[in-house]
Amino acid sequence: MAESRSRKLPVWLIWSLATIVLWGTWGLVSKIASGGVDAYVNQLLYTAGLAPLLAFVAWTVWQRSRGEALATGEQRKARRVGVFWAFLTGILGGVGNLAFFQALVTGGKASVVAPVTALFPMVTVLLALVFLRERLGRVQWVGLALAFVAIYLLSV
Amino acid sequence: MHAWLGFAFLALILWGITGVTQKLSTNRISSERSFLWFCWAMVALSAVVLLVAHPHWGLGRTVVLCAIAGGALNGLGAWTSFRALESGGKASIVISLISLYPLLTVVLAVILLGERLTWMQSAGAVVAITAAILLSLEPAPRAEA
Repeated sequence: MAESRSRKLPVWLIWSLATIVLWGTWGLVSKIASGGVDAYVNQLLYTAGLAPLLAFVAWTVWQRSRGEALATGEQRKARRVGVFWAFLTGILGGVGNLAFFQALVTGGKASVVAPVTALFPMVTVLLALVFLRERLGRVQWVGLALAFVAIYLLSV
Repeated sequence: MHAWLGFAFLALILWGITGVTQKLSTNRISSERSFLWFCWAMVALSAVVLLVAHPHWGLGRTVVLCAIAGGALNGLGAWTSFRALESGGKASIVISLISLYPLLTVVLAVILLGERLTWMQSAGAVVAITAAILLSLEPAPRAEA
């Protein structure tokens, strides 16, 4: 019975639910850790926790790249640019993690800091609007307005 | 403004910028390769922290385990989100669904850490999660005339 039910669940839904559990729990364990380590030590230990996944993904990428045809000059250039942006994403994300953790260390509740920081798509949407010239749908404009309301309510 | 709120806003802004830089990256390379270089940047940042910040050690076992678990959970979460998108989930649905993650943090923090929210903060959490879901709903591309 349980098996037939699990077969009906789409794979993408299982991965999505797993993401909610993993990220949702991350906020909790970060708050517990904030009681005993500063943001810098947390970043070091965080990276230690990331290391096994890094090794796995590095191995996967290496396996796939073995079967790939040799890249042309144009493709190599695009890859270098892509790697630059990915690296910058990691640096900004890491400094963001330091700030997230410092928010918890300085007394922010996990139940407030998590919803505040989860509003980060509002910045992405605004930047995409200005720099990537993407257009916003009506629903996204409503989301943007609600994000400001949420910030006000969570800040009081 | 409370110091914690200032740091939370800083995280919000930096993570928001990564939404754009990640897009610029995955427009050119696979999400897997992009994630790999994201992780290498974390290692580089940690090396700088180790050299420059002179972190203070003196740690309990629970906090060490929780901090290490934090890295594993966050990294695995990013990886499972890529898998959700690659296994046929519509981006707007997957990202909207994933945006519910702070709700779990709120529930866990209230139950396990005994945190209490004012009614304004409770309303704020609900509005924030709603806002994050709405922001993830990109408009459909315009049909060609």
